[in-house]
Amino acid sequence: MKYDQTLYLEFLEKMYLIRRFENKVYEFAERGLVFGSTHLEVGEEATAVGTLLNIKKEDYLIATHRGHGQELLKGTDVRKMMAEMIGKATGVCGGRVGSMHVTDASVNNLGAQGIIGASFPISVGVGLALNLLEDKEKILISFFGDGASNQGNFYESLNMASLWQVPVFFVCVNNQYGMGTSYCKTCNIEIHKKASFFNIKSDVCDGNDVAEVYYKSKELIDYVRSKRLPAVLELKTYRTIGHSAFDKHPYRTKEEIDEWKQKDPIKRAEDILLKNGTPKDTIDAVKEKVDKIIQDAADFAVSSDYPAYSDSMVQ
Amino acid sequence: MREITYSEALREAIWQKMKEDKKVIMIGEEIGQGYAGVFGVSKGLYDEFGPKRIIDTPIAENSIMGAAIGASLLGFKPIVEIMFADFIAVCFDGVLNQAAKVRFMSNNQYSLNLVVRLPGGEGSGTGPHHSQCLESLFMAIPGLKIANPSNAYDAKGLLSSAIEMDDPVLFFEHKKLYKTKGNVPENPYKIEFGKANIAKAGKDITLVALSYMVSVALSAAEELYDKYAIDVEVIDPRTLVPLDTGTIAESVKKTSRLAVLEESYERGGIGSEIGSIICQNYMDALDCPIKKIASKNVPIPMPPSLCGEVIPDKDRVVEEIKGMF
Repeated sequence: MKYDQTLYLEFLEKMYLIRRFENKVYEFAERGLVFGSTHLEVGEEATAVGTLLNIKKEDYLIATHRGHGQELLKGTDVRKMMAEMIGKATGVCGGRVGSMHVTDASVNNLGAQGIIGASFPISVGVGLALNLLEDKEKILISFFGDGASNQGNFYESLNMASLWQVPVFFVCVNNQYGMGTSYCKTCNIEIHKKASFFNIKSDVCDGNDVAEVYYKSKELIDYVRSKRLPAVLELKTYRTIGHSAFDKHPYRTKEEIDEWKQKDPIKRAEDILLKNGTPKDTIDAVKEKVDKIIQDAADFAVSSDYPAYSDSMVQ
Repeated sequence: MREITYSEALREAIWQKMKEDKKVIMIGEEIGQGYAGVFGVSKGLYDEFGPKRIIDTPIAENSIMGAAIGASLLGFKPIVEIMFADFIAVCFDGVLNQAAKVRFMSNNQYSLNLVVRLPGGEGSGTGPHHSQCLESLFMAIPGLKIANPSNAYDAKGLLSSAIEMDDPVLFFEHKKLYKTKGNVPENPYKIEFGKANIAKAGKDITLVALSYMVSVALSAAEELYDKYAIDVEVIDPRTLVPLDTGTIAESVKKTSRLAVLEESYERGGIGSEIGSIICQNYMDALDCPIKKIASKNVPIPMPPSLCGEVIPDKDRVVEEIKGMF
């Protein structure tokens, strides 16, 4: 892999944007502004950034319940995202649904899933539609977690994806835990290997190495786009915070968490930039720019109104 | 006017819409090649429209619903055929959590133009997994429209409306109706959802009946008039969601009596819903308690000796209504 400073600075900026966004949502949760829970992807930022930097605006996205980064990288306005997190009318879905269910038609984000595994058959349907439209360009990127790969839907949809040859790039964010249960307690087979049973091109890589995710995704996305065939990429990563905002994660050891913190994708990208001669000031400037964007979005969200109920919502 | 069967009327609606709009597609098991629809509704469509518009699937209801939802998100107008209404249970998440909620959850950014055709009811003698009327279960879910055509004319008109509707429609058909004939115009026409049909005017009691039970209601009404001089008004709501409560209420104000006849299970059924609406709003109009006539809370059995006891028939309707006077 050739080092490219501009690209690395972009990796850093986008990953830092997600990190700061998630930290702000956590802060909101602590202040009681997020009703119920929220699922943050702190530690997993490279999975969204490395994949989605290869995705075009016209492509479609289906995100997971832990999908803020995926949604931001697809292009949703940060202010509208933040407002949705705390249920404000200016949110991307009018504040109706919050953290878990961001949909943004303006950037072809078809919606995030609160039902684990429900995205698989819908993804096949989107792929089918692209085939029926004889679209030779657009693809769908469809995220799922390690836990979802144990749902029956996964196997049924892999069969259909293979049978109908749909242009869908399935990305597994394998953060090792489905809520508090380690993946190895739920399945004996690695996720990318499950996909290969269905004659679907599949691969795995270090999900905390943003460049590796980027180049591996590029290769598979080019394949999906040009061949109009599905592919599966498993990204091994870790959420260094709990399943949901207030999870104290008693199911993991401090040693394990610390070990993964050493592999933090943002820290790794920063180290590479510094090692290759990028001045620290340049890195700090990127961070300051992001900090401003997040603060502006947070102010916007807090100062917005809550949505009003209307009988027109009755169906 | 020309007479065709309920099944042919459904096919004609699909055919006309497919001719008119390339975005209309069909997805299901055995709808194209093979059986061409277990009840023959899609017969001949594969030959005319080909595999890209009449899409056969493996036995995988989750994928059928998912394919339809995904395709609809991208602007298609899929007509799903679930081979037997009972099988909708296999893709319940797609119906309950996905299709029904897309409009609300996306704040109207997306809405689904999607019809799910569901052959329901007893009629094939195939027992508990192939014989249920499940519409009452789905009536409780916000975001779904529900149609229940009782005759060939309504079948074509309601399906033509459903295909154009930009909300998911559960379209409950009835196995015993597929071969029944009715007058159906050849030209395209639509029947608006939420408009009940007064299948027979009467002055003594309002009998709301749905789908195949409309014909049971009409034959019971005939006997009640001939033998007991009870003049029954039979109302066919035609769509359960939206429900034409206005027409039912006007009738009750006139007759002062209400019975609801359905093939769904009695508990939590359509009668419970319509009955409660009338009680809450028109209690003063009633001269006697409302009567629910529905399938007993028993899985639908196989042999006629048991089905006859579980599912309402003409004799039961006559007895129940007689008892209200």
